[in-house]
Amino acid sequence: MQLSETAQVLPEDVTEAFAFVEASGGIEAYRLRSNNLHVLLLPEAAAPVVTFMVTYRVGSRNETTGLTGATHFLEHLMFKGTERFSKERGTSIFNVLQRVGAQVNATTWLDRTNYYALLPREHLALAVEIEADRMRNARIREEDLESERTVILNELDRGENEPLRKLYHAVWSTAFMAHPYHHPTIGWRSDVEHVSAEGLRHFYDTFYWPDNATVSIIGDFDRSEALRLVHRHFGPIPPAPAPVPEVYTREPEQRGERCIVVRQAGRLGAVMVAFKSPPALDPDADALDVLATALATGKNSRLYRHLTDRGLTTHLYANASRLRDPGLFFILAMLAPDQTHAGVEAAIEEVLDTVRRDGLTETELARAKNQLRAREAFSRDGPYAVATQLNEAIAAGDWKLYTTYLDRIERVTATDVRRVAQAYLVEDRRTVGRYVPIPDSPTADA
Amino acid sequence: MPDRTAARLMQTTTRLKPLAERVETCTAGAARLLVLPTPVRSIVSFRGSFKTYPDFAAGTDLVQDLAVQLLDKGTRRRDRFAIAEVLENRGVELDFHTDGLWVRFSGRALRDDLPEVIPILTEQLREPLFDPGEFEKAKAHLAASLERSRESTAAQASAALARRLYPRAHPNYRPDPADDLARLAALTVDDVRAFHARHFGANDLTIVFVGDVDPGTVEALVREGPGAWTPAAVQAPFAERGRAASPGRTVVPMPDKENVDVRMGHPLPVRRQDPAFIPLYVANYILGGNFSARLMSTVRDEMGLTYGIYSTLYGVTTEYEGHWQVDVTLSRENVERGVEATLAEVRRFVEAGVTREELDEKKTTITGRFKVDLATTGGLAANLLRNAERGFDVGYLDRFPGEVEALTLAQVNEAVQAYFDPGRFHIALAGSLPD
Repeated sequence: MQLSETAQVLPEDVTEAFAFVEASGGIEAYRLRSNNLHVLLLPEAAAPVVTFMVTYRVGSRNETTGLTGATHFLEHLMFKGTERFSKERGTSIFNVLQRVGAQVNATTWLDRTNYYALLPREHLALAVEIEADRMRNARIREEDLESERTVILNELDRGENEPLRKLYHAVWSTAFMAHPYHHPTIGWRSDVEHVSAEGLRHFYDTFYWPDNATVSIIGDFDRSEALRLVHRHFGPIPPAPAPVPEVYTREPEQRGERCIVVRQAGRLGAVMVAFKSPPALDPDADALDVLATALATGKNSRLYRHLTDRGLTTHLYANASRLRDPGLFFILAMLAPDQTHAGVEAAIEEVLDTVRRDGLTETELARAKNQLRAREAFSRDGPYAVATQLNEAIAAGDWKLYTTYLDRIERVTATDVRRVAQAYLVEDRRTVGRYVPIPDSPTADA
Repeated sequence: MPDRTAARLMQTTTRLKPLAERVETCTAGAARLLVLPTPVRSIVSFRGSFKTYPDFAAGTDLVQDLAVQLLDKGTRRRDRFAIAEVLENRGVELDFHTDGLWVRFSGRALRDDLPEVIPILTEQLREPLFDPGEFEKAKAHLAASLERSRESTAAQASAALARRLYPRAHPNYRPDPADDLARLAALTVDDVRAFHARHFGANDLTIVFVGDVDPGTVEALVREGPGAWTPAAVQAPFAERGRAASPGRTVVPMPDKENVDVRMGHPLPVRRQDPAFIPLYVANYILGGNFSARLMSTVRDEMGLTYGIYSTLYGVTTEYEGHWQVDVTLSRENVERGVEATLAEVRRFVEAGVTREELDEKKTTITGRFKVDLATTGGLAANLLRNAERGFDVGYLDRFPGEVEALTLAQVNEAVQAYFDPGRFHIALAGSLPD
């Protein structure tokens, strides 16, 4: 869509309120002039439903010692409501939205927090109104904090039950010593136990502003009507009184392999091998995405053939994290019965050696690209699927990472893959984690 | 199949035609075929299922699990890598799974790849290789899954409750993983081959396609492929009802598990087609169907005792009865308090019944959510297949919201009184319980 076309099709009252910014891949970007709220529109009338999502550019990377888990805690408290939408008035956010059939929730991760509702198209106004209201009017009360604290501690305990989750967090904490990717998004238990309403209020007042948020509307809606709704409800909110603090901590260069062992009761071990990787918007991240796919997606992937097909592992997963700051390229392998950690680590290393030395074949490269192409097409199946992808692109720093992704992948060559394998998959920047099960024998007592 | 183009079947406004008018239904050989073109670009979701009748009492559902796991490990015509080459080069997703009575397959593909995908699916269903080497790997793989299920408090608690509620011959029964591991060790590749030869076939075979799909094209592909399969001459009895056992408690002690999973429930003498099902479904939704339901609202939101608490009508089908279940996750120090709070809330719900306001709210929740669930090709395909498996016509999906809307307060509260009784709850707990 051309800029001029978009500007022309909107009524005057809408263009007065919004500046058209750009369009890409069917998505149009606008800026609410009064407070710099970003707005993304993707009309897709395949079903009479719409997803409304607000993405705040705040995640656990913005937390400091003592406030770890604050972003996630705040996300929970945002459902305790406002003066207008509250349980006492019979208008709690969940009640109001679920009453009309909405699928509603929120998620917190390293770089962002998002609140979303997938709902029948005729109820879009309700979701807009609620999100605008709680952007600045959330009640962050001491009494809500205490009941939610135990809820979050139970959520934390659930995570602690899972050895693989503990392994994952242990590897990130070991790989990142200075950067806040060091701590898990849910926070350290002691911080969750002690954080105060005042501390969370300060966090809210620092980050929850329209100029630190992006609104996305995806699905079956009328463009002008949707923008009018956004203007009506978000327009009166002022921009942030002070600039959002930047995270300036950079992880010092890793100059040697790090190893970590997690022991917990269980049955079968696991290995996670991770390497420092570039930020999401770096073109090298595209080549690493292709490499991760070629390594572990499908039966013809290198790691499957070399490990799972030979009975060393039962499941394998490779991922090139695409985060705002440098992250990790990692391989997670679940051991088959009677296999050793050392044997699996050696087999993974053999595979990585061949990639460093020879790169991928043209067949492997083409297959990986086709898999990513199909995955992208599948991710357009319904407005919720689109929202989840778009959310991560916003978090990474540029929403167009979603719409230009296939073009970026298309440009990756076999030479690029070999180069990034040699540049990033190096021993000195490797962190290896082992989950070592402590055998137990559960018995049921009737 | 009538020659109707996809464009004529689609509308992109809130006033969509009823599904009964948009879904093309026909038989393609031995397969029942349902095709729904939707205005999505280039992708197609497909799902299918057929019955295999394992003998649950004899434990042959474990043999079936192995057989299903081996379906994508090569056929008599092509090895696993040759098949993967075709599918993976196109980014096709294709998975097989089983839940006891049914073997199901599901996948997504780009529209133009269906002529390659359906013949491969046919080969995998009808002519799996069952290579001895692959069999040994599948055995190790299944053993690993069973071992890992022993690490999961949720899996252990759910399975322990199922063993209290059902006889071995019921499809909802869940064996102890240790027993399955022992059985698994004794199985041979010949057991799997024999099971496939005798049990796999086009028994109630239904295939659903949703998305950017042409009904005539897939009909021809299915007729030549899975539709050319013959039904297997096999029937195996299974228990249709739960056990009439006295309520009790099972504890599965697990070290290093600070979070304890708790399941409570009792058998429910109801089937999906019974008049009591819809009132019970709505009543249960009011108690524990979503975040704004009573259990989450009180035990989580007000008391802060849990991260998650839900209730479900579990495993209720048109062919066998299931049970009513409450799930709650509790930190070790809150176990007894949390169990008591949950039971108190359930007792209040049964004794006082639901209010008109609650009923009205959940009616709009359920009918609105139903619309939302039908917003993707995958969601549509899943609903169409489940509906077909129940033996219902496509129009039932159009009528379902009306059935919910038509419920009266008296019908719901009578159903609650007649069927729900926390006094009959069996309880299963798994984790590191306090001494």
